[in-house]
Amino acid sequence: MYRTAAKRLLSGTTVVKSSDARFRLRNLQTIVTSTGICTSANPQSISNQNPNNQNQIPRTKPNQSDSNASSSPTSSSSSGPTSFTADEARRRHHHHHDERRIPRVKYQDEQARVLHASLRHVLGWSEEAMIAGARDAGVSPAIVGSFPRKDAALVEFFMDECLQKLIDRIDSGEELQNLAPSERISKLVRIRLEMQAPYISKWPQALSIQAHPSNIPTSFKQRAILLDEIWHTAGDEGSDINWYVKRTVVGGIYPTTEIYMLTDSSTDFRDTWSFLDDRVKDAFYFKKTIQEAQYLAEAVGAGMGNSLQGFVKRVFQG
Amino acid sequence: MALRLVSRKLGSRFFPMLSFTSQLHSHATSFGFKEVKEEDKSQLVSNVFSSVASNYDLMNDLMSGGLHRLWKDRLVSKLNPFPGMKHLDVAGGTGDVAFRILDTVKSIKYRAIRDPLNDHLLEETHIYVCDINPNMLNVGRKWAIERGYGEDNSLIWVEGNAEKLSFQDQSMDGYTIAFGIRNVTHIEKVLAEAYRVLKRGGRFLCLELSHVEVPVLKDLYDYYSFSVIPALGELVAGDRESYQYLVESIRRFPSQDKFASMIADAGFQKVEYENLVGGVVAIHSGLKF
Repeated sequence: MYRTAAKRLLSGTTVVKSSDARFRLRNLQTIVTSTGICTSANPQSISNQNPNNQNQIPRTKPNQSDSNASSSPTSSSSSGPTSFTADEARRRHHHHHDERRIPRVKYQDEQARVLHASLRHVLGWSEEAMIAGARDAGVSPAIVGSFPRKDAALVEFFMDECLQKLIDRIDSGEELQNLAPSERISKLVRIRLEMQAPYISKWPQALSIQAHPSNIPTSFKQRAILLDEIWHTAGDEGSDINWYVKRTVVGGIYPTTEIYMLTDSSTDFRDTWSFLDDRVKDAFYFKKTIQEAQYLAEAVGAGMGNSLQGFVKRVFQG
Repeated sequence: MALRLVSRKLGSRFFPMLSFTSQLHSHATSFGFKEVKEEDKSQLVSNVFSSVASNYDLMNDLMSGGLHRLWKDRLVSKLNPFPGMKHLDVAGGTGDVAFRILDTVKSIKYRAIRDPLNDHLLEETHIYVCDINPNMLNVGRKWAIERGYGEDNSLIWVEGNAEKLSFQDQSMDGYTIAFGIRNVTHIEKVLAEAYRVLKRGGRFLCLELSHVEVPVLKDLYDYYSFSVIPALGELVAGDRESYQYLVESIRRFPSQDKFASMIADAGFQKVEYENLVGGVVAIHSGLKF
């Protein structure tokens, strides 16, 4: 959550203050370059995007003035009040996509290769899988010792891989274009959870590894980013519910379904997917209730004083 | 507490060296605080170790308050040994590190691996203990017998120079050097050899007495090193000079950061170090790709 807030703040600035933005953007680029984990994320391609991102700044502005009357401040994924053309949205999504890479755990290419190979050996999320993976990758299994928190390395790598695959699929596919937001959410959650299907018998172990206190910061972050991703993709339509509330709803649906899936023995997890659809429907049905709760919260917030409210506004609306 | 911080200096092992002018801020020509001829250093170091070999482990315990055991455990846990490993422990004459690695590989954890295909791996585990000083190796062999490893084919004792290893290129999964690199004449040559013998994915780990920068701790440590250790050496081992050398050689060793950059210069990736007890010892690690 804090990460999301920080991110919004960051990208908000890109749009709003263009002089500052340049500087920040550059910072971002540096981070991306140095953490790029996939072989494909070479510094060159990333720096090529630099001009794009900067172009985005002037372009967004006129748009903003044209249409801000109709837009909702809360609907935008990464910046201040705006509504988008399709082009703009894609562009923005790319921007957002770049940011997504930042939090990935840093691995050297060789290490990433080992982890990738290890995924074929998951009898458990364990060192043995990684040793087997290293042998497959043709490097000495001694490399396993170089992973910090080795128990978690494989799970975290897998989470990152899945997220990247999900993002790729979102970027490439038209499959989501014609769906309503609620359908989109269940589709996205389903796509993501299906990636875990091959490992389902060992997934409880992965969950317990993620829940270990020393791994929580990373796993929490990875999950928060995943939910952000799902929500950003699903929620581009103007909507009147607070962005965070919606995201929280998704945040409830995803893990619930994930847990449900663990014990689902139906063919192709059919029960899981219908469970998921029901939960999403429930969530949208309760939209109103949430809205009312929000009004109440606003009233309370007003009572607590303007300074807090002002601060919150600044933070959350860029 | 202060006492324990101390380190053991003993630990050293030495490696001899060849001649060549060291760019290494005179590491090659320093014997403790004394300047010596480069070609003499290895002999001087060798004398030290021959002289301390018999009391080596006792003195380690006394000087470090037993902490050296924990440090070595930490080293081995960072190494993360696995069955079938080919490991080279340089300057490991008394076998302290090698025994720990072997114990880990043979531990329950790995026995529990179900895969029967891996059974042969245990037999394929080889740990080479390389030391330039035959006296130290003899101590190690004796220990091995006492510990019940006398018949174990996994342990191989090799007399050799860390600057000119007799092993093939890319033949090792792991390389450790505990309390040894400080005593070699040319650190760069040792690092280059380590890099040469390691396989891709192999790891280099170095446990060494290092520099304490924490203010008060530093003073206590200095006092302990220069006053207590030599006295202790005289009392227990009857050899003040050797222990004086050990203390001084620590001060002449490159700082953590400098040493880390030397490791990186040798070609290693992901070079990191971890200070233990505020820098009394540091574990440096690197990965060969």
